[in-house]
Amino acid sequence: MLSESRTNVPEAKGELQTQEVQKFPIWEVFTKKKESAVHLHAGSLSAPDSELAQCFAREHYGQDQPCVNMWVTRRDFLTADSGENESYELFVQWGAGLRYEHVGEVEACNGVEARDKCKELFCADKKHFTIWSCPNSGITKIDGSTNMIWRETTDQAYRLASGYSKVVRKKWEALRESKAVDDYQSEDLKDTY
Amino acid sequence: MSASANVEVKVGDCSNEDPQKLAAFEEHVANGGLIEPNDWMPEAYRSLMLRMAEHHANSEIVGALPEGEWIVKAPSLLRKLALTAKVQDEVGHGQMLYEVAQDLGKSRNAMLRDLITGVTKYHNCFNYPCPTWADICMIAWLIDGAAILNQGTLAHGSFGPYIRTMRRINMEEAFHFKHGEDMVLTLMSGTDSQKQMAQEAFDRWWEPSIAFFGPNDRPDELERPAMRWRMKTATNDDLRQKFVNRFAPAAMATGLVINVCTKDDQGNVTSATPDPLLKLDEETGHWGFTQPNWEEFFRVIRGNGPCNKDRLALRRFSYEQGEWVRKAILDGTTTPCKN
Ligand SMILES: [Fe+2]
Ligand SMILES: [Fe+2]
Repeated sequence: MLSESRTNVPEAKGELQTQEVQKFPIWEVFTKKKESAVHLHAGSLSAPDSELAQCFAREHYGQDQPCVNMWVTRRDFLTADSGENESYELFVQWGAGLRYEHVGEVEACNGVEARDKCKELFCADKKHFTIWSCPNSGITKIDGSTNMIWRETTDQAYRLASGYSKVVRKKWEALRESKAVDDYQSEDLKDTY
Repeated sequence: MSASANVEVKVGDCSNEDPQKLAAFEEHVANGGLIEPNDWMPEAYRSLMLRMAEHHANSEIVGALPEGEWIVKAPSLLRKLALTAKVQDEVGHGQMLYEVAQDLGKSRNAMLRDLITGVTKYHNCFNYPCPTWADICMIAWLIDGAAILNQGTLAHGSFGPYIRTMRRINMEEAFHFKHGEDMVLTLMSGTDSQKQMAQEAFDRWWEPSIAFFGPNDRPDELERPAMRWRMKTATNDDLRQKFVNRFAPAAMATGLVINVCTKDDQGNVTSATPDPLLKLDEETGHWGFTQPNWEEFFRVIRGNGPCNKDRLALRRFSYEQGEWVRKAILDGTTTPCKN
């Protein structure tokens, strides 16, 4: 069932009339969930330029959960070998399957040197999988207090599973014995979230 | 809504691969090892993973279409906020999964276009109509519930970017599921006409929910690439049984009746009789149930379901209407972007 404005969508088949668009650059996003936490890799997105990448990142990675700070950078910067003499943010993936984690910052002449320094300073004898380095001039840092969509001032419980726990429990208890509700909720798909 | 990645694909054999590399890869995966995009992988693994992520992404996008239509008709402000957030989540799931697939070698734009022209498919359950608010409630409870069960197992798969995406997605599916449960309980604690509306929607959605996990297992299921390479970690029939064990008694506790239904071409229920196989086997702990009508399932997958045409027409319409936006964005940034 479609809403009124979309009830007359024309039926069409075959090839599309519009052009395929060129591939957008890929951006990587790092989020910090609370002040005491480090930036963790949240995921990637495709966007034509830095400004749109930031909008997209805030909308997509910044409003599903609390998020106090976010960094956005082009993916190719993270593995680049060349670069200026400047400060580099360093991210380590400690093992396959894990998320990159921000470990610190170094001064270096280029990407290769930054990653070498990362191994020395932050990995030491610890086993690691891969390292990303990003020149600070290539990262857009979005501050939570002014620019994040998730704000503590509004109640966002309606978009979290936990926001429904109490009310659902109460409604079940009106219908089933407590024990049955316990059994049902004990396997409340919990290992998945 | 959400998707299972039970896409059926035929993959070529690995006879062109370096046998040593292949053996090392298979051993690594069999021992629980994970694969990252820059690791060596057999071509068949790469293409199967790509198609799985693409099918999953398509399903997230198409699944949001019928729900999006109900935002303006939500019965209260809270429900409207929650449904808006859910639809945004689902489209976001599609976005993340297209990124995973893109990194395996197919452009995002090509995937969006192949979906519209029917080259690729999306999950079958989104080809059924959603005529009342109670359908929105049942979808969130049953289909998102089924998706969590399935994606929970996919999160233990072998491809790093996909399992990381599953974890984020499942957190959001949990909200969809809980909110769905709340809505179903609200209806079933309500007036007689609310209960009737819920039962009618349940009759429409029970069968697509148990069909959600895909066709019955084949005898060689565990040997097939998706299982052998741990892209899937549970079989369709195991997941289906788990779903019925959990949802059948819960549905009955709310007062819903689990019926076996016949439907017309539009997806309207034409007859409903209580499922004769529905009972608990005390020994195994499993609930018996009537299998979905697989003949109908495959007919709908082939494009002949009640809503296949509507869904794709709406996607095509939105995509073509968005042409000027893509043009405006690209014309404004013809020089390669600098930060
Ligand atoms: Fe969902
Ligand atoms: Fe989803």
